[in-house]
Amino acid sequence: MKYEVVLGNEAIALGLVEQGCRIVTAYPGTPSSEILAGVIKYKKRFARRVYTEWSVNEKVAFEIALAASWTGLRAAVAMKQVGLNVAADPLFSAAYLGVKGGLVVIPADDPGPYSSQTEQDSRLMALSAKVPVFDPATPAEARAMVAPAFALSERFGLPVILRPTTRLCHARQSLALDETQPDTAIPVVKFRKDPPRWAATPRMRYQLHVALNDKLRQVEAEFVRSPLNYVVDEGTSDRIGVIASGVAFHTARQAILELGVSVPLLKIGTPYPLPQELVGRFMAGLRTVVVLEEPDACIELQLPDRSHVRGRLDGTVPAAGEFSPEAISAVLAEVLTDAGYKVNPPPNDPDLQNLVRSLSLPVRRPSMCPGCAHRSTFFALKREFGPQTILPSDIGCYTLGINLRAVDTCVDMGASVSMATGFYQANRLVGDTRPIIATIGDSTFLHSGLEPLVNAVHTGARFVLIILDNHTTAMTGFQPTAASEILAEDSDIARKVKIADLVRACGVTFVEVADPYEHNAFRSILRRAYDHSQAPEGGVAVVIADRPCVLYDPSPLHQNLTPVVVIEECDGCGYCVEAFECPALVLRPDKSRVDVDYKICVACGQCIDACYKGFIVPQEAETEGVER
Amino acid sequence: MNQRPSSPPDPMELKIVLAGLGGQGVIFTTRLLAQTAVALGQPVMASEVHGMSQRGGSVVSHLKIGGSKAPLIRRGTADLLLALEPNEAVRNLPFLRRGGIAFVNAENSLQPEVAEHLERLEIQVLSLPASRMAMELGSIAVTNVILVGFAAAHSSLPLPIDTLRETLTTMARRRRELNLQALEAGYRAGCRMQETGSMRL
Repeated sequence: MKYEVVLGNEAIALGLVEQGCRIVTAYPGTPSSEILAGVIKYKKRFARRVYTEWSVNEKVAFEIALAASWTGLRAAVAMKQVGLNVAADPLFSAAYLGVKGGLVVIPADDPGPYSSQTEQDSRLMALSAKVPVFDPATPAEARAMVAPAFALSERFGLPVILRPTTRLCHARQSLALDETQPDTAIPVVKFRKDPPRWAATPRMRYQLHVALNDKLRQVEAEFVRSPLNYVVDEGTSDRIGVIASGVAFHTARQAILELGVSVPLLKIGTPYPLPQELVGRFMAGLRTVVVLEEPDACIELQLPDRSHVRGRLDGTVPAAGEFSPEAISAVLAEVLTDAGYKVNPPPNDPDLQNLVRSLSLPVRRPSMCPGCAHRSTFFALKREFGPQTILPSDIGCYTLGINLRAVDTCVDMGASVSMATGFYQANRLVGDTRPIIATIGDSTFLHSGLEPLVNAVHTGARFVLIILDNHTTAMTGFQPTAASEILAEDSDIARKVKIADLVRACGVTFVEVADPYEHNAFRSILRRAYDHSQAPEGGVAVVIADRPCVLYDPSPLHQNLTPVVVIEECDGCGYCVEAFECPALVLRPDKSRVDVDYKICVACGQCIDACYKGFIVPQEAETEGVER
Repeated sequence: MNQRPSSPPDPMELKIVLAGLGGQGVIFTTRLLAQTAVALGQPVMASEVHGMSQRGGSVVSHLKIGGSKAPLIRRGTADLLLALEPNEAVRNLPFLRRGGIAFVNAENSLQPEVAEHLERLEIQVLSLPASRMAMELGSIAVTNVILVGFAAAHSSLPLPIDTLRETLTTMARRRRELNLQALEAGYRAGCRMQETGSMRL
C-alpha cells in the first residue's frame, strides 16, 4: 500500500476505474474538468479497458453514458453544474426509464461562484428529477462513495448523482493506492431489445413514475441504514444539534472544536432522498437544529417540521456565496450564543484585517494572456465598428473581453448567437440600427452554437458572428474540440469536423477564415462581413478568427516573433493599456510613460497597432533609428 | 540521510497558507510540500483554485498536514505563510495565528504600519530576495523552490531538506538540476540567517 497526494477530481476518477466503470464521457467545465483526465491516467496505470470521450456537450455525453448503461456496462458522465442544465432532458427521462449497468452522473457544483454563471445546487436538480444523491465531504470519501453509488444504481435500476463541490474537486488529499488489484474482466452483457421499456409511451410513463416513487421510498429506507449517514459526535448538549453534509461537514466539525463546545453532529452522505427516520431520531429532544450544506438548502427543504431548524431558509445561513470556515463559525457562534452557551471568540485579529483592507492592495484582475489572439480580434472589431456596437458574447476565456469593453452580454453556452438574433429582431421594431457583432469560441460554438445559427439564418436575422477559433478548449485546460484531430485517447481515429463547412451547411452565404494577427486584412474582412449582413440579398455573416491559443500551440507565434519597444517619446496617455489591455503593457504609477514587462511579453508585436501615436515600435526599427 | 520515521509517525499538525500570482508556481509549491509530508507518513489535505483565477490573478492555496479534513484554513489559525510576492503576503497575513511565521519573497521590508501589528501579534516575517536569486541562477521560474528551501532551514517547517530534495527530484521533470540548485540556495540562505540571527540578508 502506497500513499499519494491525489486531486479530488482524480480521486473520483480512481473510484470509477476501481469499480469497473467502462464508459466515461464528459464536457469540460471548471471545477469538473480533471475527472476524465484522471480516468485516463488510472485506466492506463491499472491496465483497465475503459472508453473515454470529450463529447460535444453535456446532453450528448449523458446520452452516450446512458446507452452504455442500457447494454449492462457501468458508465459515468461528468460535467460542471450548469452542464446538468444542458443534460437535464435526458436526466429527467432516464430517472423514469431506469438503467441496467450502474450509471453515475457527476455534476460539480461551484459555491462562490469561482468560475460559473450561477451557484445552483445540483442536489435540487436531483430532487426535481427524482434521482438519489451521494454528497462526499473529502476526496477520499468521494472515491469510496463510487462503490455504493454503482451498487445502488444497479439494485434499483436508477441513475444516481455523485455531487462534489469546487473545494472537493480542487482539494488534494493523501490516499492509499493498491497497485496489486487484479483486473476485472469486462462483463458479458449486451443490449436486450425491450421497446415497451426503453421507448415507453406516455401511458407507460405514468406507470414508470409510480414505480420510480416506490423505488425512492425503498432507497430512503436503505439510506436510513447506510453507514454514509451517522452521528459523528454525540455531544453533551441537549439543546443544540448540527446536521452537515459535503465539504461543510469537516469545516463544521472543526468550528465546533474551536468554539469550545460539545454538540451532537449528524453527517449526511445521502441528502436525497433524505433518510427521514434517522434525521427524526437525531432531532428528537433537541431544541434547535442547525443545517449546514452547500450551495443551497436541500436537506433543510426536505425536513417536514422546520419550526426548530436554523439554516438557509430562515436566514441564519447566508443565502449566497461560499460557505467559508469564518461563515460557518459565525453561524454556529450566533446560534449557540442565542441558546445561552459561552463560546470562544474568533481567532482572527480584526485590527490587522482592517489595516490590510485599508491598504487597498492592488488586485490583479484576470485578463487574457499576452499574445492571445482574442485580444487582437476584439481590438480590431472595436476599431472597425466603434463603441456603439452591440456585442453579445459567450462562455470562455474571451468573456474577459469585457476588460476591453468588447463584451456586452454573457448568458450561457451558445447564447451569443441567439442573443444577437433577439437584439436584431427587437432593434428592427424600435428602429435601432446599431451594428450587432457576436463572438463565440470554437468549443462553445460546437457545444451549443449550431442550433441558434440555423435559427438565425432561417428567420432572416442580420448580424456578424465571429467564431474565435483557437483550436482548443482553452479556459478549462486545453481539452480537444470536434474541430481538431485529437480525441481524449486514441487520436488516430479522430475525424476533424470543419467549422467553416458546418457554418456553410447552416445556410450562411458569407463565411471567411482569417488570422486576427493580420490587423488590416482582418479589419477589411470584418467590414465586408458587416456589409453583407446589411445588403438586400445578405444575412448572417460569419468570420472565423483562426489563430491557436498561445499557451496551447505557440508555434505560429515562434515562427514570426516581433519584439517591441516603447520609445522615449511615449507620453503615458494610457490608451494602449486601456484599449488593448495586455498585461505586459504597464503604465507607470506617475503616468509618465508605458513600459513593456519583458518577463511576460511574448513578442507577438500585436500592440504596435494599439498605440495610434506610433510610440510602440518593432525592436529592430528602434535600433536602426538610434544608429541613424 | 534522514530516516523515514517508523510507524506510527509523530502526529504533526501544521497549517500553511501559500500565496502568489498566477504563473508563480503556488500550486507546484503546495504539491511539493504535500508530497514531502506524505513521504514522511503524514496525512495531508490541500485546497487550491483553478479556472478563471489562474489567468494572472492572485492565487492562494491552503495546506493542512495532519489535523482536520476541512479543506480551508480559518483566518487567525495558520502556522505559516509562504508568499511569493510582497502584496500577496500582506493580503494573506490575517490568516496567521498569534506567533505565526511568514516567509516572503521580497526585496524590502513590509509596510511599517503593518509591522506594528505584527509585533503585537508576535508574528515573525522572514524575507528573502528569492526572485533576484532565481534570476541569478538562470530562471525566475524557480523563485518558489528557493523560498521553500529558505523555509525548510527554519525549525517551524518540520520537513527535512533531504526528503524535500527527494520529492523535488521526482516532481521536477524539466530542469531538475536547476530546481535542486534553487532548493539548496534557499536552504543555505535560511541557514545563514539562523546563524547570524539577522532578519535581513
